[in-house]
Amino acid sequence: MIFLAAGTAWAHHSPSSIFDMSTKFVLTGTLTQVEWVNPHIAVYIDAKKADGGVENWKFESAPPSWLRRVGVNSADFKKAIGQSVTVEGNRARDGSTYGFLQKITFADGNSLAMVNPNDVNTAH
Amino acid sequence: MTQRIVCIIAAAIVLAASAAAQENSTAAIAKAPRATDAHPDLSGIWAYSIDLPGVALKQEVNGSTSIKLIDQSGRRPAKGPVAGALPSTPAPSYKPEFQTKVKYLFDNEAKLDKVFFCGKPGIPRIGSPRQIIQLPKEVIFLYEDISGDPYRVIPTDGRPHRADADPSYYGDSIGHWDGDALVVDSTNFVEDTWFGEGGYFHTAAMHVTERLWRDGDNLVYQYTVDDPNVLTAPWTAPPRVVKPSNDPPEESPVCVEDDSKRMLNLDHHGQR
Repeated sequence: MIFLAAGTAWAHHSPSSIFDMSTKFVLTGTLTQVEWVNPHIAVYIDAKKADGGVENWKFESAPPSWLRRVGVNSADFKKAIGQSVTVEGNRARDGSTYGFLQKITFADGNSLAMVNPNDVNTAH
Repeated sequence: MTQRIVCIIAAAIVLAASAAAQENSTAAIAKAPRATDAHPDLSGIWAYSIDLPGVALKQEVNGSTSIKLIDQSGRRPAKGPVAGALPSTPAPSYKPEFQTKVKYLFDNEAKLDKVFFCGKPGIPRIGSPRQIIQLPKEVIFLYEDISGDPYRVIPTDGRPHRADADPSYYGDSIGHWDGDALVVDSTNFVEDTWFGEGGYFHTAAMHVTERLWRDGDNLVYQYTVDDPNVLTAPWTAPPRVVKPSNDPPEESPVCVEDDSKRMLNLDHHGQR
């Protein structure tokens, strides 16, 4: 998995102004909701905590117009609602349960990831 | 000495190639498709040219991997010379008394730029049209934008600007042909917009002139902004070459800004 460097061009805001782009984290939980909105889509995940409780996470990702043009639409995400997914990304620097989704792996093992085009040759 | 000869030969090759490219480009304009009224036909779907993430999608499906990357060349100034283009400069020149304000707006763009908060970009900031429908007496521009999907119906029948229109984000536009270029003249703007991400504010006196022409299969888009209240001279931006597209305009999903409350610094967002 190749992660973006901080400062990679973004369509809305600089990711580093909200997220800790130097540290990645992985979270597994149940996909509960998908918002196909501008300027970024959002996915909601309920993740179990060590104490047995549930933590509600929101992840923003790419703009719908970008996803559409790389061949991904809302159904590709919404079909996984209610299923377990694993996301990789960056946590908001304010410590909230908010993240920047860079990769999502669905229950069937298929995945979508944003990668740096300069690393495409090594990303296969 | 040998190096010098090599350099001279290389320079001659470059010059010859440049001249050939210019000839080819001029020929490309001449060969562009023509409408029934003999004007170049600008009709068509043109590449989405609003900033998108400069990243690639890596998709893994049933064990096979694909990589997809979007061509965003139409969003950027053309890299080489473009036949038919007006002389341009990278940025507008503000009067000295407004330069501090421009810098302040730019520095605080993440808080003050209404486009960041799903606002209408207006012209010329919205960029080139996604689709053009060229008719004998009017030209229709269709756009895709997160603030909504505006359209412009631009008369080309010689009528003057409307006298009764309210100021608007996309202004009042009339068009005419200047040789092979469609020239769209727009006035009567609200003052809410910036005409560029660099804090380029303007007054209601802003006057925008857009030029669109064909370069072979491509569309060229260039604009000039004048606002004698704040600029020292009209500013002509570098041309952009926009490729044809098979991707028709689609309704943009609603825009819900949910980030500003979490931003911990004023990093620029690089929208357009």
